[in-house]
Parts: sequence; C-alpha cells; structure tokens
Amino acid sequence: MSEILNTLMQDARIWQGHRHVQTTQTAEPTGYQVLDNQLGGLGWPRGALSECLLDAPGIGELHLLLPLMQRVCTEGRTVFWLNPPHTPYAPALAREGVNLDQVVLVQTEDEGDFLWTLENCLRSPVTGLVVAWPGKLASREVRRLQLAAEAGSNVCALFRERRYAEQNSPAALRLELEPDEHQALKVNVLKRRGSWPGQRCSLDMAQRADLSFRETTRIVQGPWSDSTG
Amino acid sequence: MLWLYLHFPHLLLDHIRRSRENQGALVIVEGSGQKVTQACPEARTQGIRTGMRLKTAISLAPDLGMVRADAFQEARILEDQARWLYRYAAHIVLVPPDGMLAEVGSLQKLYGGLPAVWQTVEQGLNERQLNAWIGIGYTPLAARLIARAGKGECTSDKGHIQRALSQMPLLAAELDEKACTRLQRLGLNTLGEVFDLPPNELARRLSPELLAYIQKIQGTRPDPRTPWQPPHSFRQQADFVQEIEHTQGLLFPLQRMLTELEEDLCWRQQDTDSLRLVLKHRHSEPTRMHIRTSGPEHRADNFLNLIRLRLEQHSLQAPVISLMLSVKRFLSREAPSGQDLLGETQDLNEAWHTLISRLQARLGEKALRQLSPQADHRPERAWSASEVLRKTGTPLKPVEELPRRPLWLLKGPQPLTEAPVAWFAGPERISGGWWDGQRVHRDYYIAQLHSGQLAWVFRDAREGWFVHGWFG
Repeated sequence: MSEILNTLMQDARIWQGHRHVQTTQTAEPTGYQVLDNQLGGLGWPRGALSECLLDAPGIGELHLLLPLMQRVCTEGRTVFWLNPPHTPYAPALAREGVNLDQVVLVQTEDEGDFLWTLENCLRSPVTGLVVAWPGKLASREVRRLQLAAEAGSNVCALFRERRYAEQNSPAALRLELEPDEHQALKVNVLKRRGSWPGQRCSLDMAQRADLSFRETTRIVQGPWSDSTG
Repeated sequence: MLWLYLHFPHLLLDHIRRSRENQGALVIVEGSGQKVTQACPEARTQGIRTGMRLKTAISLAPDLGMVRADAFQEARILEDQARWLYRYAAHIVLVPPDGMLAEVGSLQKLYGGLPAVWQTVEQGLNERQLNAWIGIGYTPLAARLIARAGKGECTSDKGHIQRALSQMPLLAAELDEKACTRLQRLGLNTLGEVFDLPPNELARRLSPELLAYIQKIQGTRPDPRTPWQPPHSFRQQADFVQEIEHTQGLLFPLQRMLTELEEDLCWRQQDTDSLRLVLKHRHSEPTRMHIRTSGPEHRADNFLNLIRLRLEQHSLQAPVISLMLSVKRFLSREAPSGQDLLGETQDLNEAWHTLISRLQARLGEKALRQLSPQADHRPERAWSASEVLRKTGTPLKPVEELPRRPLWLLKGPQPLTEAPVAWFAGPERISGGWWDGQRVHRDYYIAQLHSGQLAWVFRDAREGWFVHGWFG
C-alpha cells in the first residue's frame, strides 16, 4: 500500500496541499478589511480574472468594487464597463467619488466582439479595471480571457449568474455573492489561487442606501443648539 | 539656372506594377486598344515589344495583364511624383504627360554638389520603384532633350552639355515634322549644325517659330515656366489590373500608400485623425469609408491596423478595381510634453488613443459611451451618454449633498410584481417636466424585495408601482 502511495507521491500530477508554495501575486486591496483578511490579506488579484457569481442585481455587488473603482479613477486609469445589464447611474457614481471622465461604457453585439473587446482592454496599460457581464461563456473562453488578463496587470471582474458556480473555471478568484440580513452582502470564496477556498464573510452594505444613517439624517438641526444646551 | 529633367518612359506601368503582389506580364495599351504602348520587363522577355499589335501580344503571352492608357489618370500619377520630388526641390514644373522639371542650380550648395542632388533623386526613384531617365541642362528644353535621348550625365559643365546637344540627331530634337524634313533636305543632320546657322537666316528661310524653339534650347530666349504648387491635401490612388475580391488583397497596396502618407505627414510636421477610403467597383457605386482615430496620428502601422479591423467587419460588396486614399484634415503636431496636469506620461495618452480607436473601429463609434450627470430632477434625464473624449481636467469633487441614488438605473421602469418585505426610506417626491411635456410625478421609496435586492421603487400618479433602480 505504502509503495503505491510512494509512487503516487513522486508523480508530478499529484498536488500536495500541505506543501504548496505561497504564490506571490500582486493584488489590489478590496477596500473592505474583512474581505481582504479572508483573501489572505491581498484583495483583487491583478493580471487575473475574478468572478463574482450572483443571482440578481441590487445586493451590493457594485459597492464591492466601488473602493477599487474610486482608487483607479484617481490614479487616472480607465474603468471599462462591458455590457452592463442596466444603466450605471451617473449621478450616483459621481456622488460616490468616481471620476466619470475615466469611465467608459462599452456595448458589444455578439460574443466574438465581447471577447475581443475584453482582451484588448485587459492588455492595454491605460486600463485600471474592467467590469464585465459576459452572459454565457464556455470554459474555453474563460481560459482565453484568463490568458489575456495575464498579459496585462489589470483587475478584471466578471459578473455571472450563480448557477455557473458548479462549472469549473480558470479564474484566479471566484466569489459567490448572496444577500444577507440587514442589507449586508455575504461573500463566499469558492476558489482562490494558491490557497484553500471556503472562507466566508459578511460585508456591511447598508450604507449604499444610507440606511444606517437613516435615523440620524432625520434629526432636524437648527441654529438653536447653543442656547438650549 | 540649372534644370534637371525626369523623363518617365512608362510611368503608368510602374504605377500599376507596384500595387501588384504577383509580377505577371503587364502591358499598357493605347486608348483605342489596338497597340501596345508600354511593356513591362516580364512581357518583354516573352517577346512583346512596344508598338506591337495587341492581338500579337496576346498570342505571345496568353495571361497578359492589360491596362488602357488614360490621359487623366496619367496626369494624376505625374502629380503624385511631383509631390515627393517637392521634398527635395522647391521649383518644380510638370511637363505632361511624362516629364517633370526641377531647378537644381540653387540646390547644389544645400546638398553639397550636383552628384549629391542626382543621388538623392535617384534614391527617391528607387524607393518608389520608378523608372526614369534623368537629364541636366541649362534650359528646360535642353534638359528635356538630353533626358529623353537617354544621354543624361551628372555634370554641370557647359561645354559638355553643349556637345551632347550638338551631337543630337534632328529626329530626337522634337522639331515639328515639316521643319525637320526641310532641315534634312538642306543637308543638316544634327542639332549642332542648326545651332551654327545665323539666326536671321533661320527665321527668314524656315520659320520664326523654329528659331524661337532653337533659341529656347540654347537659352538665348526666355522660356518661363509656371512652378507647381503642392496641394493642401493628401491623395493617393492604386489601380488594379485584376479586380480584388478579398479584403486581404487590399492590404498590400494600402500598406505602401499609408507609408507614403506617413512620410508626407512627417514632412508636413502634421498629424491627422481622419482618413477617407474610396473603393471603386466596376458596376456598382463606390464604397466610401471614413476611418477615424480618436487622437492625432501619423504612423502607418496604426492606420493599417484600424483599416484592417474595419475591413474585417465589412466584407466587400463587389470586386474592387481601384482604391483611393485621401486626407483633407490635418492637425498640427503637438510637442511631446513630459507630463501633463494629471501626471500622465505621453505614452499612456497615446495608448489610450490607440485602444479607443481600435475599439471604435471594430465596434462602431456608438458602442463606446461616457456618462455624465445632468442637472435635472427626473431620474431618466439626470444623466447623459456622450462620445468618448480624453479629458484632462481635474475630476469633480464628490457631491455629498446630492440625494442618495441607486448605482443601477433600469432602462425603463419595470412594474413591481411583488410586495416588498421591508420599506426603508421615502417618500421622496419627484415632480417635474411640465415644461417640456415629459411629465414626471412620482413618489420614490427604497424597499427590499423578497430576494434580498434593494430596490428604488416609485408610485406614479395613477397609483401604479414600479422598480426604477437597484442599489447595486
């Protein structure tokens, strides 16, 4: 038995969990300390794909990327939105401090154009972040995108439906997003390059609709505070 | 003044040959289509000679490429040659249909002697795969006669030029036929013998026109010529013998034309951001293409990549017989600045323009949009999408005092199909648009749906409930 095990151990095809080498990959902090901790203190991997799998919009998925988006815009690099399912609302983005001059919205008609555009954006040095809604993607195409992402050193977030969680994917980071109590966002790490998956955390996203401050904003502030106090 | 004459013995042939990938036998036939007027070396090795009847030529070479001579086209090609020669010489005179004069006396000092001028011109000819005979003379006509006789030599020695002219047979002197016959009957055979005749006798016995011509050759009578002026646009055309059916075949001639455009732009010290491409078809309307770059550009490679992308998108409607490239819009070139206000280097700026141009070329200009907030209370009008432009202003400060809005706005309000599980904020009344007929009168709420989505919902004046956005 041990002999068989020994031959297996020597086989290069066997990956041994306890011996893995810590890969040094560059990453961008997500802006959420809790999530960064779960991702080994790194954040969004650069030069690789990140997948966000969710059922429906409106659970705080854009706020997950907002800190990075703000940072990229201030650095003067461009954020590409590829085939967003709805209109990114300009007044809201401006309010969040995203410089809209750096935001480019791209709509493609077919899948070939989509892949081509994404590849080109990823390879360019002007890109800081690409957020894309690919719809259906074959595993082979994800691989192609992963290679394109490796050519550049940009963060690329793909938003896909949650049913693709079952499908395997060469993306470096896969996050499953679910709504949690108190309008929070539950993040479930499905895959993480160079480490074990399975981390879970819950991010407070209530501020996206000003809900946590709801009560305080309703207090009428007057000029009389000094006299009465 | 010292003149350099360029005689193009088969300009049309050269012009067509350089736009061809395969070098098969090719001839130019005269307007009526009966006789061969120009034959390429491949055709000549197969036994085809100029002046041969077309039928004979075809029987010698069955796969012969034929092009009918067209005076208008030849004039245009000649002008193209003047364009590049103008980079070396300022005073150029066109001598249609196949010649060109350049004043080189004033250039000797600049280039460092006549041989250097000669070499520069020859190099220019070689680069463009053109055949030309060069002649030098002290009058335009003398230079022309020497060039056309193929006796051109790189010398400015007056005696030498005079000798070359004197030894020229009368038949080569381009005299009119009647005068030529009369001179021959007088027993004169060379131009030198005519030069020796006393001018008065020449005018009296022959004709005053002949005297004027002879004196113009000798330089004793002025022979003013109008100098050519370069046009303020770039225009190049490639004509094909065989129709081109695939876009791939267009790229070869395009590459040469774009390289010339790049040279032209470099020489003008200008850039352009729009190219016009016209593909002519034999039986249908020409295809016109407008290729735009997102920023000033002059490099041939970048133009070619954009055109390639565009051609890949649209297959050809019909086979192409000629291709025309023109540029009318020139932009002055900006000095490369190290860093601009945002601290961007020139490289990034350029990479940005390259990327955006590429995307626009393939996806169409409408596929790329930039967003901006607008001053309007109605949510669907509080934003606008515009053409992508590189803006290098300081970014707007985040406006905290604006009301909270969702990051997603639906393309149109969707009916709310379920009762929300929780209500958070509202109502916020938005009422406006009475001034332009797009009336909006709504009460907005923030509500959470059963699925956990945070929605921006509203109730309109008719008590209907709709979702208008998601707090993504």
